[in-house]
Amino acid sequence: MDFVQNFPFFSIMLSMFSGTVCSVLPRKAAKWVNTIVISVVSVLSLILLVYLIGKKESYVYMMGHFPAPWGNEIRAGVLEAGMALFFCVIMLLSMLGGRKKLHDEVVESKHNMYYILVNLLLSSLLALVYTNDLFTAYVFVEINTIAACGLIMIRQNGRTIEAAVRYMIMSLLGSGLLLLGICMLYDLTGHLLMSNIRESVHMIMEDGTYRVPLLVTITLISVGLAIKSALFPFHGWLPDAYGYSTVSSAAILSSLVSKGYIFLLIKIIYRVLGFDVFGMSHIIDVLFAFGLMGMVFGSLNAIEENDIRRMIAFSSVAQIGYIYMGIGMGTQAGMTASVFHILSHAATKSLLFIAAIGLTDVSGGSRHFIDLTGAAYRNKWAGVTFTVGSLSMVGVPMFSGFISKLLFAQAAVQNHVKMLPALIVLAVSTVLNAIYFMKTVIRIYTPAQEDKYESITFKDMKSYVLALVCFIILNVILGISSQPIVDLIEQGLSMFA
Amino acid sequence: MSYFILLPIVFPVLSGIFLLVRGEMKSRKNLLAVTGGLLVITALLAVLALAFGRGEMLLLFDLTQTLPVLFKIDDMGMVFAVVAVLVFVCAGFFSFEYMKHEAHERRYYGFYLIVFGILMALCFAGNLVTFYLFFEILTLSSMTLVLHSGSKEAVMAGLKYLFYSLCGAYMVLFGFYFLSHYANTLSFSEGSVLNPDLTAGHTGLLCAAAFAMILGFSVKAGMFPMHAWLTAAHPAAPAPASAVLSAVIVKAGVLGIIRVVYYLFGASFLRDGWVQRVWMVLALVTIFMGSLLAYREPVLKKRLAYSTVSQVSYILYGLAVMDGDALAGGVLHVICHSLVKAVLFLCAGALIYRTGKTRVDELRGVGKEMPCLMWCYTIAALGLIGIPPTGGFISKWYLAAGSLSSGIPGFSWIGPAVLLVSALLTAGYLLPIAICGFLPGDDFDYGKLVKKEPGGLMLAPILLLTVLSVLIGLFPNAVLDFIRQFSAGIL
Repeated sequence: MDFVQNFPFFSIMLSMFSGTVCSVLPRKAAKWVNTIVISVVSVLSLILLVYLIGKKESYVYMMGHFPAPWGNEIRAGVLEAGMALFFCVIMLLSMLGGRKKLHDEVVESKHNMYYILVNLLLSSLLALVYTNDLFTAYVFVEINTIAACGLIMIRQNGRTIEAAVRYMIMSLLGSGLLLLGICMLYDLTGHLLMSNIRESVHMIMEDGTYRVPLLVTITLISVGLAIKSALFPFHGWLPDAYGYSTVSSAAILSSLVSKGYIFLLIKIIYRVLGFDVFGMSHIIDVLFAFGLMGMVFGSLNAIEENDIRRMIAFSSVAQIGYIYMGIGMGTQAGMTASVFHILSHAATKSLLFIAAIGLTDVSGGSRHFIDLTGAAYRNKWAGVTFTVGSLSMVGVPMFSGFISKLLFAQAAVQNHVKMLPALIVLAVSTVLNAIYFMKTVIRIYTPAQEDKYESITFKDMKSYVLALVCFIILNVILGISSQPIVDLIEQGLSMFA
Repeated sequence: MSYFILLPIVFPVLSGIFLLVRGEMKSRKNLLAVTGGLLVITALLAVLALAFGRGEMLLLFDLTQTLPVLFKIDDMGMVFAVVAVLVFVCAGFFSFEYMKHEAHERRYYGFYLIVFGILMALCFAGNLVTFYLFFEILTLSSMTLVLHSGSKEAVMAGLKYLFYSLCGAYMVLFGFYFLSHYANTLSFSEGSVLNPDLTAGHTGLLCAAAFAMILGFSVKAGMFPMHAWLTAAHPAAPAPASAVLSAVIVKAGVLGIIRVVYYLFGASFLRDGWVQRVWMVLALVTIFMGSLLAYREPVLKKRLAYSTVSQVSYILYGLAVMDGDALAGGVLHVICHSLVKAVLFLCAGALIYRTGKTRVDELRGVGKEMPCLMWCYTIAALGLIGIPPTGGFISKWYLAAGSLSSGIPGFSWIGPAVLLVSALLTAGYLLPIAICGFLPGDDFDYGKLVKKEPGGLMLAPILLLTVLSVLIGLFPNAVLDFIRQFSAGIL
């Protein structure tokens, strides 16, 4: 066994234990530990990714002394390593961009707590990405939920507490359904390791027995994870949670936490149920329909919104609709498009949240459109970055959003039944996106009548600008040289099977 | 590699960004000198690229495996590029005087240069992806020209422009998705790029895709039913910007349609299908309706905008006929209309600048006050109506002749009839301004007249464009032969 194969385990453990260590360190040290750990994990993931690309196949890593089917396992392929790397990079940039703001938003005594939660969140995300065991996945889903709840609530005002409670209720409902689904799968198959369940499910399908319980299981798991990732009719918790929490939390929640669950769903589709079995159940059509509805209604909600943070949050609902639409197409190309959109949306949405905080900050802390007039002149970098993010969301070529839309459309053309609704909704939702994002861009570039606002926090903006520039670069890279990334995703998905 | 064809694209865009990001200049004079210099250099670079780059191809990079960003200078692109350079330089120098009474000049010039560069990129785009890319950027960057004054009216007009254009762009994208599935390549090539093996049995679908793309690009060209933004947005911009918008930026839509119909689907694929018929109906409706609305419009700039709606559809009608003569007439009308409409808008700008009058009925006696300007206006008006010896006559002649010889049942004679009626209406809405300007009537108080002739910087570009529009009418053959030569290949 190569030493590199230990890296997934190292990454999970490192981020988890650094969280514990953070609790006893002084505030400054905790900050550095957090940054260094995320960076180290990114480097580890990068090395692993390079190693796996060279090796051209995934591997299974035994945790502890018991072999399958009893022991616990980690599995790493190109897609897992790539996702881990991407999640770490986004998290690093989000923390970097929101760090200055954290001093205003969170009382000083709680800063350590914040870093603990972020580290825990990272470890649970990594575990979700790497694990090969359904029950471990469930445990880390719970850890993820609790950490995310803490991240929302740590900024203490009435709205966040309400938002956190809502998030908690919806999220626990989701995990409950997921747990029921896992229990039923265990009942049906007698296994918890993904590969073993897959074999049993295959046998069940061939025998033709237990069709209804299996369908129920698929439903429970899909709906559970859909609630947790805020698919359209279950998105009620999202705008407040993203809109009022600290900026780093909002960026991390929108671009990583919900994506982690979607990634888990994709993993379950491929590794537990089998792509064909999932494709044959009609749940896939339901996900497709909800995805389409989310694309339209999320955007409509965003248009009505007068608060920039909540607007961006509602736009997430629409974007998650895109991802589920891709999953719902039931083709390999649709899945590739969805995975690419996970990356593209994560890169863009965190960019928008971080840019938005720069804009609101120079507008007296107000997030209402009227006060944002001319904000782009007061904070030039944030203005440019927000514009880039908006253009990417609208789907202007050269940015990542265009490539996602292109991939979705190319996937849609292959499925004759779902082609027309998918393409029409894609076009409609793009125009709706344009309405609210361009409205905002015009607003921030309209010169204000008088200069009544002074910058509050962003006097010293070095780290903030660095984060913004990195975000822009990331977005443009995804937009211009998408081909190798798409190739990697395809390679990774084929390793899943 | 022929990287030099990128110069007229990259240079103005970079210099526009440079103008936008650097602080205020020491004086207005410096700003104008810099802008003027940049404009002239851009024009020279464009001439250089056009002179030496004919037929050159440049593959910049691959967006995805099947979608390269590709530039290519072909004859059709050259026609549009030459017109764009002429109008942009003339309107640019005109704005040096005009923009005195508008705020935020530096921002205006910055975006003006960027739009210039993007438009050159559109003319040089070698495949649909590149064209689409710059088409989107053109919308976004030219919107800033509409928004310039920042008034509520301008912002609403800008938003209207944006949404109509984006709707159009996504109709194009909609067709693009299908096309990419059924075509061998998306590079513009003479004849059809469709793969006959794949298209068999999917003709209906592809016709729908073609129609979506035509309709999508026609938004920019202001064809009914997607014309409503044009009459709001063009008058809202400062006059030189309206000239550019109305004269050349609408032509980006025309170029898009030409590329889709003649360089991607191929005329033979669409000829005699429902797409052609519906397209012709829409174009004829627009020609008539635009003229009629212009006739009723009391505000001068708005009247000119309605006139653009009508005149650009002349071009679209010529393209829709898919006949050699009509196509040549259409492309010639691109040139004539650009020159003439630029003159008309610049004249309107000069009138507003010198007199502050915006409504047509206030303009009595202006011919006495600024004779030179009003003569240019009159000649341009005659050109738009299509009275010999102006270029408009030649292009409309070929449009009508092509329509008559095409033998499409019904349309072959309805088309010329509509063109004729619309020409009468054009005379009806343009000439009264000149007539009242020169002959204000008996009850007019001549004592109040003061010489208000605009300065040389304003007059020279107008004069130059007017002379060119007459010259093209006097000696049309040089241009026409060129057009006929390359358009024979794409029919």
